[in-house]
Amino acid sequence: MHRIKLKINGQDLENEVDARLLLVHYIREKARLTGTHVGCDTGNCGACTVIFNGKAIKSCMTLAAQADGAEIMTIEGLAKNGLHPIQKAFMEKFAIQCGYCTPGMVMSAYGLLSANPSPDEAEIREALEGNLCMCTGYQQIIEAVARAAEGMRGAGKK
Amino acid sequence: MLKLDEILVTRNWVGKPVQRQEDLRLVKGEGSYVDDLEMDCHHAAILRSPHAHARIKKIDVSKALALKGVIAVLTGQEVAAQTKPISARAITRPATQYVMAVDKVRYVGEPVAVVAAEDRYIAEDALELIEVDYEALPPVVTLEDALKPDAPLVFEEAGSNVLMHDLMEHGDFAGACQEADLLLKETFKVHRYSSTPLEPWAIIAKYQKGSDAFLVWANDQQHGRSITNVCNTLGIPTHKLRLMVPDSGGGFGIKLALWPYIVILSLLAKKANKPVKWIQTRREHLTAGSHAPDANVEIELALKKDGRILAVGIKDTQNDGSFVHTAGIYGLIKFATMVGCYNIKATKAELLSVVTNKGPTVQNRGVGKPTMIFVLERMVDLAAKKLGLDPSEIRFRNFVKPEQMPYTTPSGEIYESGDYPECLRRALELVGYEELKRRRDAARKNGKYLGIGISAGVEPGTSNLGYYYTARGTPEYTGNAEGAIVSVDYDGNVNVLLGSADTGQGHATTTAQVIADMLAITPDNVSMNSHVDSLISPFLGHSGVYSNKFNDVDLGAVVMATKKIRDKMLRLAAHMLELDVNQLKLKDGKICSAKDEAKAVSFKEIASLAYKKILFLPAGEEPGLKEIAYYRNPIAKLPNRKDFNIQLTHANSVHIAVVEVDVQSGMIEFLKYGIVHDCGRQIHPGIVEGMAIGSTVHGVGASLLEEFVYNEDGQLLSTTFMDYMKPLAMGVPKFELAHMESPCPYTLLGTKAVGEGGSLPSLAAIANAVEDALAPFGVKVTSLPITPEKVVRAVTESKQI
Repeated sequence: MHRIKLKINGQDLENEVDARLLLVHYIREKARLTGTHVGCDTGNCGACTVIFNGKAIKSCMTLAAQADGAEIMTIEGLAKNGLHPIQKAFMEKFAIQCGYCTPGMVMSAYGLLSANPSPDEAEIREALEGNLCMCTGYQQIIEAVARAAEGMRGAGKK
Repeated sequence: MLKLDEILVTRNWVGKPVQRQEDLRLVKGEGSYVDDLEMDCHHAAILRSPHAHARIKKIDVSKALALKGVIAVLTGQEVAAQTKPISARAITRPATQYVMAVDKVRYVGEPVAVVAAEDRYIAEDALELIEVDYEALPPVVTLEDALKPDAPLVFEEAGSNVLMHDLMEHGDFAGACQEADLLLKETFKVHRYSSTPLEPWAIIAKYQKGSDAFLVWANDQQHGRSITNVCNTLGIPTHKLRLMVPDSGGGFGIKLALWPYIVILSLLAKKANKPVKWIQTRREHLTAGSHAPDANVEIELALKKDGRILAVGIKDTQNDGSFVHTAGIYGLIKFATMVGCYNIKATKAELLSVVTNKGPTVQNRGVGKPTMIFVLERMVDLAAKKLGLDPSEIRFRNFVKPEQMPYTTPSGEIYESGDYPECLRRALELVGYEELKRRRDAARKNGKYLGIGISAGVEPGTSNLGYYYTARGTPEYTGNAEGAIVSVDYDGNVNVLLGSADTGQGHATTTAQVIADMLAITPDNVSMNSHVDSLISPFLGHSGVYSNKFNDVDLGAVVMATKKIRDKMLRLAAHMLELDVNQLKLKDGKICSAKDEAKAVSFKEIASLAYKKILFLPAGEEPGLKEIAYYRNPIAKLPNRKDFNIQLTHANSVHIAVVEVDVQSGMIEFLKYGIVHDCGRQIHPGIVEGMAIGSTVHGVGASLLEEFVYNEDGQLLSTTFMDYMKPLAMGVPKFELAHMESPCPYTLLGTKAVGEGGSLPSLAAIANAVEDALAPFGVKVTSLPITPEKVVRAVTESKQI
């Protein structure tokens, strides 16, 4: 067992965890934040993507024990004073169907736009390569990320 | 049938891309999928067969039971003692299979035992402690293996591995062949693939000791049928099972037959005496979830020299794996698209359902229709080549013409409306066909291999479930229908319960748009809980989310229930305003005098009368404002082998794919992809666009990337998303989309199907494009998927993909 202290969405947490407990299961079952999903168990689908010390990672490929001292943001922590521009853009572009990939997609997009505020279409497609969506065929998701980038740049200028 | 003008009193919402009601919670991560439900549960893990075909000689679970944290273990023997075998739907030979393997395993991944433990990690540990003594049997993997005279039998009692064999002719097939100038034959191989919803199967079962009943939460696509199947299998009356469907992370048909696992979990929960949760892992999903079957399709076309097609015949042999419940379905449904978009007067179909030691099959998006359109549209291209016609020209010469609508195919399928030639004309214009051909020809001179592929498809919706009669006599379910409950609450807002769940289609949004225009309110005043609860929701044996039936019978039920509410509110308003009903109109959440809008009562005031001031109700009027309606599609025909309709709406589309093939690496890149489709009247263009593109990407995956590969021992080799490759944001084409709207005369709102949509014509569009690109090498595409390896081999040696 390992004792871990971490911050999720600004909240301090401290738990004893099994060495083999995956971070995604810690987030879902111990922290009861169920917006982070499991879709594949092999790091391919990205439904479990969270922001870990500023970077988008797959929480099913990470042990909870590795998160000791980490600062994590999940989908539940993204909306502050209303929806985040990425969330708004996903709604406006109808980039959501079943919604199961959505939190991971949004967090990957957040990771992309944090590092590159002006991605072109090819860069968006590349950044989302680790996130599977079985419903949309990606087109409206890509349009949503482009719109969010535009909106965030606009807001930044003000 | 009600006319559109009688249904909609305003035109403010239907046809507009309004904000989806589902999205706010989904985008915040506040969905409630089965695994998210807060419940004190044990957790199940399933021991699955490592063999494709073997006898189970002994199972010892004692070590697993001794592990700390393990609550209960169930073996196949124990389950079989408490259940009836799995019911079959289409096959005609006897084949006994239980929800868990009993004395024999028939595929890698078949459930053998199940463990309930305090957490999933412990349950998985316990699986390793279960000792099973297997005696391996020779496996039957391919169709060729299964059809050998001395092949081992998957089901001994069937006496054959062919569990359904049917032959049907419609029109004068032999005459058409005699009249033909050209008989063209080819055999195509279609592989196993699946639409793999991102959320795998998920079930929580709870046993209530006091009432000896089960409560189940599952992401089930067809609960109407599951309730019957689970209760029959468990031998319990219907009221002993309450089935609830919360949010579901995609379906695509793959969640239509998870009910055998509901049986397993129910028995386990009873034994564990506490709710038990089972979340299928991706490896379980890919191995033992369900696939579309692989198939060999021999097809022949009888043609005149001018390109007119006189007849089409198929011999369709499906490798249905080893799940008796759904075996045979993929053959029969092909009648929905047997003649595609074409005016073909004679058909012949020989249909075989073959069982093997591959995994289960279920109705994956399109259910055999993608295969039918693939083989037909490949043949049309091959015929065009033979006759020296442009691929577009041969299609123009054969299309059913708009003036022939409604058009009845030889077997009785009714194409209700559409302008197929115009759809192709627009598609050619959309992609700039003539210019593309020049570009392709110029590129060839520079050693670049561009190809253009055209495919036209009928995209049917709403199954007439009576079609299984073709092999088995009168079926248990016929026609199609759905139920809805619509109520107006104290505040005058509208609440809806539908008999089907949502797997991502935005049913609540679409329903709210329709009701808003029926009652002259806004969609914000309408809320629909898309979850299903068999105790509360209306349901029929047909209830569920499948075969694109929502736009037809589901919305039909919504319309009819809303109409009942509207009629009642009008009667109450007339009473309150002392006017006649025909002097009233609906406006902005009120009912008012048509002449004097100031004379009005709000929905809230009407509700107050209906719910509270019941002594002031007009004589004979019941209190309350809640109505239920069931709506059935009006054109479903009765079972009759000579004249039957498989599906009840027929959208259509043309896909044009433009690819560049790198003949060195075998890689295929999309340069363009144009779609013109006609799904009748659109309620929500944003949702329609997502469906049209999303379904097409399923075809992209199926034609180029995805394949369940088995080795000769029947071991599945593609068991993760590393080996079973799905389309990614990189690599899928950027689609250009255009719409046509030919309203359906047989649905209340003129709508047709859009969900299966692009998964049908896309396979041939892509294959035709690849073959066109490789024309300088004389390559013929007769199998899927078109992998880089196959491309390189075809170019260098085999000339065939």
